[in-house]
Amino acid sequence: MKKANIWPALCLALVPFLPAQANEALLRHNCGACHGDPANPEAPLSRISEQRKSPEGWEMTLHRMQTIHGVQLSDPEGKSDSAGVLFQLVKYLSDTHGIAPAETAGLRYTLERRHNAVDIPEDAEYAVMCTRCHSNARVALQRRTEPEWRNLIHFHLAQFPTTEYQIGGRDREWFPIAIDRTLPKLAAAYPLQTPEWEAWQKAAKPALAGRWRVTGRMPGKGDFNGIMTAEAGDADSYSVSLVGEFSGGEPLHVDGHSVVYTGFEWRGNLETDSEHYLQVLEASADGSALSGRMFPFDHPERGIDLQARRDDGTPRLLAVSPAQLKRGSTATLTLSGSALAGAPQLGAGLKVERIVSRDADRLVVEASAAADADVGARAIVVGKASLPAALTVFDAVDRVEVSPAYTVGRVGGSEGSQPEVQGRFEAIAWANGPDGAAGTADDLRIGPVKAQWSVAPWNEKAAEDGDLRFAGTMDKDTGIFTPASAGPNPERKQGTNNAGNLKVIATVGEGEAAVRGEGQLLVTVQRWVNPPLW
Amino acid sequence: MRHHFATSFRAALVAAALLPMLLAGCAKPAKDYMAIPNRPNQVSLIDLEERKVVRTCPLPGRYGSGTLQMSPDKRTAYVLSNQFENIYGVNLDTCEITFSAIQSEGNTRIKTTAAFAVSADGTELYVHQNPSLLLRDRYEVQEPRVAVYRIADGLKAKPVRSFPAPRQVILMQTDAKGTLYLAGRDIYTMDTATGAYSVKLESQTRKEARYGQRDVLSIWPLGQQSNEFIRMYTVQRFADETRKPETAELMWGYERIDLATGEATTRDFGPLNVVLFSGMTRPHHPNEMFGALSQLQKFDVEKQQLIKSVDLEHSYYCVNFSTDGSKVYLSGTFNDIVIYDAETLEKLGNIQLPGGDMSLATAQVFPRAP
Repeated sequence: MKKANIWPALCLALVPFLPAQANEALLRHNCGACHGDPANPEAPLSRISEQRKSPEGWEMTLHRMQTIHGVQLSDPEGKSDSAGVLFQLVKYLSDTHGIAPAETAGLRYTLERRHNAVDIPEDAEYAVMCTRCHSNARVALQRRTEPEWRNLIHFHLAQFPTTEYQIGGRDREWFPIAIDRTLPKLAAAYPLQTPEWEAWQKAAKPALAGRWRVTGRMPGKGDFNGIMTAEAGDADSYSVSLVGEFSGGEPLHVDGHSVVYTGFEWRGNLETDSEHYLQVLEASADGSALSGRMFPFDHPERGIDLQARRDDGTPRLLAVSPAQLKRGSTATLTLSGSALAGAPQLGAGLKVERIVSRDADRLVVEASAAADADVGARAIVVGKASLPAALTVFDAVDRVEVSPAYTVGRVGGSEGSQPEVQGRFEAIAWANGPDGAAGTADDLRIGPVKAQWSVAPWNEKAAEDGDLRFAGTMDKDTGIFTPASAGPNPERKQGTNNAGNLKVIATVGEGEAAVRGEGQLLVTVQRWVNPPLW
Repeated sequence: MRHHFATSFRAALVAAALLPMLLAGCAKPAKDYMAIPNRPNQVSLIDLEERKVVRTCPLPGRYGSGTLQMSPDKRTAYVLSNQFENIYGVNLDTCEITFSAIQSEGNTRIKTTAAFAVSADGTELYVHQNPSLLLRDRYEVQEPRVAVYRIADGLKAKPVRSFPAPRQVILMQTDAKGTLYLAGRDIYTMDTATGAYSVKLESQTRKEARYGQRDVLSIWPLGQQSNEFIRMYTVQRFADETRKPETAELMWGYERIDLATGEATTRDFGPLNVVLFSGMTRPHHPNEMFGALSQLQKFDVEKQQLIKSVDLEHSYYCVNFSTDGSKVYLSGTFNDIVIYDAETLEKLGNIQLPGGDMSLATAQVFPRAP
């Protein structure tokens, strides 16, 4: 199943580790036949020199050159195979024609494969012309000259002639609008030369070797807590090991390597015995922090949100787990950080009953909250380290928000090429605040809490079509919905597939005190084209 | 006396003209057939009376779109093939490929959505082309055009004339008078000698105070059984000119050219409750409009009411009728054609094609001698 996806996502990370540093000569050797000027061998390569992209963007370009135009990538020195050359070219192009950190702000969801992200461009026409097929980030993570944006529009209609007949295309004069209105907007919004890129090219790029303290969260598994070590290799590469565990106690140990593109785009390729993970992290400009997401190669929906902080010996408190404590209750809290020393201080109304265990990375305490402890988020201190808004004290859960409120799962497996795509939900608890009314400014976000999960038909139509029976199963404890298998189902009306429209219900608490929250899950058919960037 | 003579003379002329046909007809009376392409890349001739596949002819290249138009003598099927690029003429009695329009040439790639038609006299083929130049390091979209091929040029046919045409043309049809219709954002007529074209029937450019903009998805050149060129639209209809969204009704309507007279009509024919892919009026019952996708629906055009809707066993894209209008044939999706009674919408049976999915194929039904 792993090889089924036509995009070997981060195939750059899949190839054997290659120390060779790509250069302009390798680029010209492979791309010059079409993009070079025979009359002027020194001229910049056409098109390539007129655009900038993310590593995934360049990977997709090179992949397209291979699949559509039959390019055979080769190394004149014979040191690398075609996959190795692709990796080196992606690295070289990302470094020399990349996207600056500031240019990725707000757009990292696509790089991080957050396929449920909703990002609607402000410009309604732009939303129809580009984002009816693509994520906004797919567009906005590119920079081109105006002629180069024009080439891209021509490519779209020449390669996909049905663009102007599809819904959102046939209702307008698509091509004239694309050339006369969309092109100038793109050229103005995303030009080749920007102050951000100029500044980033001049900036010193951080070295990322060291010991990293990692915290995070994965829906269905809870908070994550671990240590990552990175040892520098050649050509911006690192040997990487990440050891940690989820708050439920499940361990995770992955080993592998990473490559840093464009000076800050960390792409890790890590494996357990049974699973192959990708890390998509952004390094901070000073090299002290990494943040992003780690997910199995075949299942981007099963991701862990990660933050890593370099352990440089400075006392730091990074996370408290769980991050909420009910008034009048006692709970075990894990305080994660680095160089932790000194007494834990939980603030007025909270008391450390006992220290269960401690080392420099972790302090586990049994804590109690007085019945009249102040409600709200508070800072926690351990010796010289403190973390603002680390723990929320609450009185009662007034409402539960299912997160995501709306998501798409996909049938898969069977004999087909695409694995199923799960729906993964969390119950976010809220208190109504002093005014007692939900949805007002004084509401208190308590945070993710344990819930009992179930599904129901979303509407009458879903009930009539038996969606509950056919679409898949919800794990009542974890909030993970696994869609049913792909393909026509002879047991269903009109032999249709196992699609469904379901209400996702989280129940927090029991009996009369139980509070319910609802979300929506649309289980639909497979997505057949799964490039790294949607 | 004079009147009598004239009548007799005319009758004699008609008899003389019809004699070969009558003789042939005596031996083998005309009956309904269907021509339909499917995967891997073939076209079948079906005897609809027997509900049997008479012959399946392979086509060159890769499948798609499967749009099909018949020659006026109903012997040759013209099929858009090889991923929307080549049009092949295949003799359905011998499976011989008698005509091919290989549109792409050199570094010009040409795609046709579903827009081609055969002239009323069967001598010319008209096709709407979407050309792109494939240059060394980039693509360049070219202006669309209508190319005219001479069918007598056979397997080496090249365009004999070519005219600039509107973009976004999906369908084409010719009428008995030789007029060429192009259906895109509007329906246009084109003079096939000069290439002059003009709007015959406004669709998207129509401005009506009570209506939103029409949407048309129609990639099946249908309607010959009712002597019409017809496509369905969907539209928001408001209660009045103030266009309050809460008063909007979603309506189905059709845009129709009478292929005998060239008369264009357009009207709403019923409420939009389910998505339908294709439709046409029932032969000899112009007030009955049929459409299908997951349901087969029958509308009273005059009253703008749904008469009956039946759930289908799976989706079918393409609607057609028997010549007498008594039966509905649904095709597209899988290799399964289903037959319904046009009066009662009761299912009458299925016909299975050898091979695979019909996908976007057009099924044409026509009467002819075996």
